[in-house]
Amino acid sequence: MNSNDIEMVSVTKTFGSNLVVNNIDLAIPTGEFVSILGPSGCGKTTTLNMIAGFAQPSSGEIRIRGKSQRGVPPEKRGIGMVFQNYALFPHMTIAENVGFGLKMKKRPAGETRDAVQNALRRVHLDGFENRYPKELSGGQQQRTALARAIAPEPSLLLLDEPLSNLDLKLREAMRVELKDIQEQLAMTFVYVTHDQDEAMAMSDRIVVMQDGVIAQTGRPAEIYEHPRSSFVADFIGKSNLLPISDIRQIENDWFVSLGTKGLTLSVFIPDGMSGHDARYCCIRPEAVRLAVTDEGIPPLPNRLEGTLSRIVNLGAYFDCFITLKDGTVLKSLVRSTRLPGLAVNQAVFLSIDPDAVQLLSR
Amino acid sequence: MDRFLSIFFQLSLILILAFIALPILVVFAASVSPTATITFDPSQWTLRWFAALTASRWLDPFLLSLKLAAVVTVLSGLLGLLAAYVVAYRKCPGHEAIMALLVSPLAVPQIVKGVAIVLFLSSAGFYALLGTPGLIMAHIVLTLPFVVRMIAGAMYNFDKRLDQAARILGATSFQRIRFILLPIIKPGLFSGMTFAFILSFNNIPLSVFLVRPGETTLPITVINHMEYSLDPVLAAVNVASLAFILAAILLFERIGGFSAQIHGGSK
Amino acid sequence: MSSIETLSALRQPTHLPVRLSRYFPLAPPLIVLMIAFAIPMGMMIGLSFHDADTGILTLDNYVRFFGDDLMLAGLWRTALMSGLVALCVTVMAYPVAYYLARSTSRWRVVVFALAITPELAGVVLRTYGWLVILEDHGAINNLLTWSGLISEPLPLSKNLIGVVIGLTHVVLPFGILSLLTSIQGIDPNLERAAQILGSSRVSIIRHIILPLSVPGIVSSLLIAFTMAASAYATPALLGGAGFKVIATMVYEQVLFYIDWPFAAVMAVILLVMMLTIAFIGARVEARLHRKLHI
Repeated sequence: MNSNDIEMVSVTKTFGSNLVVNNIDLAIPTGEFVSILGPSGCGKTTTLNMIAGFAQPSSGEIRIRGKSQRGVPPEKRGIGMVFQNYALFPHMTIAENVGFGLKMKKRPAGETRDAVQNALRRVHLDGFENRYPKELSGGQQQRTALARAIAPEPSLLLLDEPLSNLDLKLREAMRVELKDIQEQLAMTFVYVTHDQDEAMAMSDRIVVMQDGVIAQTGRPAEIYEHPRSSFVADFIGKSNLLPISDIRQIENDWFVSLGTKGLTLSVFIPDGMSGHDARYCCIRPEAVRLAVTDEGIPPLPNRLEGTLSRIVNLGAYFDCFITLKDGTVLKSLVRSTRLPGLAVNQAVFLSIDPDAVQLLSR
Repeated sequence: MDRFLSIFFQLSLILILAFIALPILVVFAASVSPTATITFDPSQWTLRWFAALTASRWLDPFLLSLKLAAVVTVLSGLLGLLAAYVVAYRKCPGHEAIMALLVSPLAVPQIVKGVAIVLFLSSAGFYALLGTPGLIMAHIVLTLPFVVRMIAGAMYNFDKRLDQAARILGATSFQRIRFILLPIIKPGLFSGMTFAFILSFNNIPLSVFLVRPGETTLPITVINHMEYSLDPVLAAVNVASLAFILAAILLFERIGGFSAQIHGGSK
Repeated sequence: MSSIETLSALRQPTHLPVRLSRYFPLAPPLIVLMIAFAIPMGMMIGLSFHDADTGILTLDNYVRFFGDDLMLAGLWRTALMSGLVALCVTVMAYPVAYYLARSTSRWRVVVFALAITPELAGVVLRTYGWLVILEDHGAINNLLTWSGLISEPLPLSKNLIGVVIGLTHVVLPFGILSLLTSIQGIDPNLERAAQILGSSRVSIIRHIILPLSVPGIVSSLLIAFTMAASAYATPALLGGAGFKVIATMVYEQVLFYIDWPFAAVMAVILLVMMLTIAFIGARVEARLHRKLHI
């Protein structure tokens, strides 16, 4: 029954009259890499702090490995944590930092030494044992913090935006390493971040939070392809998010009107949704196919004409902004080698597969 | 005009610094001059006055001052740690008011505190406490507010996230105090204790009320002599006690490391 | 079990009661301050309202103090001495503080050490030094006599001049530190802005630096005045037997005349004087600070 490392049962946290976490239910299976993703102030850090034991739920219950954690202080929860600012002990060497958890548990010195060596090797910091945190670069400090957290071999590791202080290149390299370590050690990772790329790159599952509630839970691809709300669609990846003014059914086909000037798209209604609930539609830029002639796009349906109003060169891709006849602006992602000669003010043709139009009820 | 001002400014700076240095240089010269007349000719300098310092009339007061300062330093360090722990580390409700209470003796001039303690001990019948016990009490009242302030300063700056990190690694509250908090605030603790040591060792306004014949601190012994003569031995005593204080500061610095930048990993 | 019961079972108290045990570590320091400070202070203040012989509650001791010309002269001498010291300290501390706040030269460290470290030497050493310099057969008088400028030694010690010089020396580092904090708080860009607008150094100091450092000047005056007014050793040694200020008079009252209620009165008057000045000073400082630094 208990293949879940963490279970949160209707957990609520209030600070004064401020409802920070609102009735969350969440189960995190053993060995999974779960990201809690959301903008700042969405309650993700408070959720993590409650799992760690630094904050107590106002109501509800948190169970770790099947045991209720009510009244259990952080030091008795047997979990690891990596902090945003690393929180390395400035007066201790790297080896002392990494060995701290084992020392607190009064493990024999030899065992501690081996565990420190192992942890440091795993994060490629062997040889740095006698340095002080101040003498290391940001990336090395980050690895030290990771080594310190995994050295006591907890089954569960909490990570609070651990990469946010690193520059982009390092951040991308660390994503791969974190994922590798998580898989090698078969640990449960709960990773809090506001960076959707990070969450997409590493997670088995993403929990998107908004204003203290869980907006959506799912595999990265699932969330990207089938966002359940305009908030999730907007927060994860780029999207053309358009309010629907009208939706109607003609025989077996559904059509949505966007805006007031007659922009109409053919869409598919997914199972389990009533077409009349749709309020927004979301079209990923890569699903907006762009051509310079009308032979360049598939015949039907959803053919649109417009003018290229702006091109943002992303290197491998062009981020194209197309102004349609009615004034609506759509984004389209174009591989730069496919249409190298694109220029602003050029007339272009678009087509959108009805499958790629996500209908959202909120 | 600007040029004139600049010269005037530099000149006045030099004169003020000379004013500050002058009496100290004079005492140094007096302590090595062969007679009561000061000479700045190094070839005539002698250490004969320093040789006289081993006499018990100087050694006994020195030892009393040393013991007093040592006891006061240790006690105010311990009491300061306890107070700062509640006020600055735990930040218990009302910590600001408690802090104000703890530093309130600073608002009272030393001479007034001295009178209060001597009147209390005398009129409440604790004559036996005049002398060393009274000196310890009075000096702690003087040093404790400074020590609390310095330790509290270090504890206010203490990064609570280090505590969380230690906690999640399994450290109990005792282990966190011992392995994280104390080592990190050590420079603050030791600079406070150094300050307490200097304040106690040099103190006059409190000690003057509480010394007894045979239990007189070094500074009081020196001023008692100074009222009658400017014996060069007094210059030697002063120089020696300054040297001793500097040595004590160096020692505290070696243990506490308060001047060194500590290796900080977190912001 | 109904759902409401489940919910209340899961609910935890949000406000823990204030646990008294958290305050236990405060007990030793507070007890020490109580026994060695609060009780003696209370007792001293109480004593000042009691008759020395009969122990009856009375204001007589205060009436006696303010009716005694010797006492009033001492009070006046204390105020005069402290005022002069406050002025000298502030005037002398200002250039040093300005230099320390603005200089980038490597001499800065040296000047800082020179300005502050004498504090370690203690009052006795410095007073001894000044006595050697200022006394009738001291360095200055010997020099002047030898050069033929004077025939009789100038009265530089055992009087107000000597005490003011000695106390200025003792208090100067504190004046420097309080002015330094204030001048460091003035944005150097203001000076550059004035310079670009065509101000000379003199007018920059006159119109920018001086007005903005008024809070620092006030705090330097205050700290110097209060330190001087409660100083004991320097007036006692450099002032000689005839130079009586409140601090030295209290000492005599306790140890020679053994008139404790009267000593208590003098101590209380000194305390009230200090607290009043500190209070007014803090108000003035706060107002100036609000006015000048937004």
